[in-house]
Amino acid sequence: MKKYVIDKIVQYIIVLVAVSIIIFLMVRLNKTDPVSVICGGKQTTPETIANIRAEFNLDKSYMEQYVIWINGIFHGDFGTSFQYRQSVTTLIANRIPVTAGIVLLAALFSVIIAIPTGIITAIRQNSILDTGISVLQLILVACPPFLTCILMILVISSTSPGFSFTGSYGNFGEFIQRISLPAVALAFSMIALTSRVMKTSMIEQLNSNYKLVATAKGLPDSKIILGHCVKNASIPVITILATQIGVLLVGSVLVENVFSLAGLGGILIDGIKSCDYPVVQGITMLMVFIFLTISALMDILYGIIDPRIRIK
Amino acid sequence: MKSSTKRKLKSFFTAPVIVSMIILLIVIILAVFANTIAKYDPNEIDITSMLKGPSVEHIIGTDKSGRDMFARLLFGARTTLLSAFAVIIISVMIGVPTGLISGYFGGLADKILMRISDVILSFPCLLLAFVFVSAFGRGLINAILALGIVYVPMLAKLTRSLVLVEKNKVYVEAAKSIGFSDLNIMFVQILPNCIATLVVQLTLDIGYAILDLAAMSFLGLGVQPPTADWGAMLEEGRIVITTAPLVAIAPGIMIIVTVVALNIFGDGVRSYLDPTQRKVPSLRKFRKMVGAENE
Repeated sequence: MKKYVIDKIVQYIIVLVAVSIIIFLMVRLNKTDPVSVICGGKQTTPETIANIRAEFNLDKSYMEQYVIWINGIFHGDFGTSFQYRQSVTTLIANRIPVTAGIVLLAALFSVIIAIPTGIITAIRQNSILDTGISVLQLILVACPPFLTCILMILVISSTSPGFSFTGSYGNFGEFIQRISLPAVALAFSMIALTSRVMKTSMIEQLNSNYKLVATAKGLPDSKIILGHCVKNASIPVITILATQIGVLLVGSVLVENVFSLAGLGGILIDGIKSCDYPVVQGITMLMVFIFLTISALMDILYGIIDPRIRIK
Repeated sequence: MKSSTKRKLKSFFTAPVIVSMIILLIVIILAVFANTIAKYDPNEIDITSMLKGPSVEHIIGTDKSGRDMFARLLFGARTTLLSAFAVIIISVMIGVPTGLISGYFGGLADKILMRISDVILSFPCLLLAFVFVSAFGRGLINAILALGIVYVPMLAKLTRSLVLVEKNKVYVEAAKSIGFSDLNIMFVQILPNCIATLVVQLTLDIGYAILDLAAMSFLGLGVQPPTADWGAMLEEGRIVITTAPLVAIAPGIMIIVTVVALNIFGDGVRSYLDPTQRKVPSLRKFRKMVGAENE
C-alpha cells in the first residue's frame, strides 16, 4: 500500500518536472526577440534594452531562468508578462474564475444530463429512444464546442435579444449568466462520452447479483434502480470526468474565445500570437498541473479503495 | 468458405455504413474536383456582393468579403481533408515504428519510449499543440506537425499492445527459427497482422484531426487567411453570425457531416473485423437471437 502510493507520487513528480522543462524550452524556441515584444516597436536605446533584459532575467542562462521560474512558482510568482507588464499571477488570478466556472459548470451539466440518459438507454436497450439518443451522441461528438456556441448565439439572439452573454460581468448573477452558455456548449461535447459510460456501467449494475437478490426479495424495479444501481453506476461517470479535466480546460479556451469572455483562454491565445511566453508557460503549466494532480489523486484514491489496482 | 466471406461482407455493408461511405465519397470528390466544380475563385474578393444570401450565381451566398461561399467550402474541404490526412501520416510514420520497437524488443527501449509517451500524454491534447505552435510559429504546416506529434503516443501505445499479443504467436517463432532478421519480423511478419485494427483507429483519428485542426484554425493558430478552411471559415462566420448565419453554418455542417460519416465508417469496419465488439445488435438480429432461445 505504502509502496503503491509512494510509487505514484514519485511518478507524478517526475512527469511534472519533465513537463515543466518541455514547456520552458518549447516557448523559448520561438525566434522572436522578447525585447521587441516588451518594447512594442518603440525606439529604444541599448541602455534600455540592457535594463529590460536585466528586469526580465533575459541576460541569464536558461538554467538560471528555469530555476528562477520554478522557484517563483513555489512562491506563487509566475513571472512578469512582456505584453501587459503585469505579474502573470495577477493576470491568472483575475481570469481564473471564468475558466474554472465554465469547467465546473460544464462538468456538472454533463453529469446531470448523462445520468438520466444513461439510465433510460440502459433500461430500454435497442428501443427507438436508445437509437435516437445514440444518433444524437454521434452528432454531438462530431460537433466542436465552438460550433455549438455559434449556433447558440444564433438561436438566442433571434429568440431573446435581451439576453446578454458576452463581455465583462459586474455581479455574481451576471457572472453565471456569462458562463452558463459556454458551459452548456462544453457540456454538450462531453455528454456523448459520459452518457455512454453511464449506460455501460448501468447495464453492468442491472445484471449484477445484488439486483437479482433485490428483485427476488420483491423490491420494485424503480426502487432498486434509483436506490442502488444509480449510485453505483454514477461513480465511473465522475471518474471519467476527472480524467477529462484536461479536455474541459482546453475546451474552455475555445468557448471563451467565441463569447469573448475574460478567461485564461483569451490571454493564452493572445500570448501565443504575440510571443508573450511568461504568460504562455504560466497558463500551460497551470493547466497541466491541474490535469496531472487530479489524475494522480484519482490513481491513488482508486488504489486505496480497490486493492486489485495496486497489484497491477 | 466462400459463402462465409460473402455473408461477412454483407454484414459490413449495413445501411449506416453505406450512407457514410457515400457521404465520404462525395466530400472527397468535391475536394478533388474543387477547381472544376466551383465557378469562382475562393479568394476572389468582390466588395459589391458582400454577405449576399443564396442566389443563382452564389448557391450558398457570399461571405463578408464577397467571396463565393460554395467555392470556399469546396476548397476548404481540400485544405481540411488534406491537412487531417497529413496529421495522420505524420503520426503513423513516427507512432507505428515506435510501437513496433517498444513492443517487440521490450526492455529498456520499451521503458524509455513509453515514458516519453506518458509525458506527451500528460498534456491535454490541444494544449501541447498550442505550446508547439508558440514555439515554431503559427500556420497550417506547424499546426499539422504539432497535431501529428500529439497523436503519436496513442498510436504507439496501440501498436505496442497489438505487437505484444502477436509476438508470442507461433508464426513469429517460426520466422525467428528460419533466421529472419528482427526488422523483417517486425515490419513484414507482425505489422500486416496489426494493420486491420490500426486502420480502424486511423479512420477515427482522421475525424479527431479534422476537429482539432478546425479548433486551431478557429483560434487563428492554424490556417492563415485568406486560405479557405472549414475551421477558419467558422471563425469568419462567427463575427457575422446574426446578419449572415449561413457563413458559419455551412462549414459547421460540413465538419459535422464529415466527422460523423468517418466515425460511422470506422465503427463499421471495427465491428466487421471484430464481431465481439459490436455494441448494439440490429433489432432483427436481436429478435432472432431471442427467438432461437425460446425454441
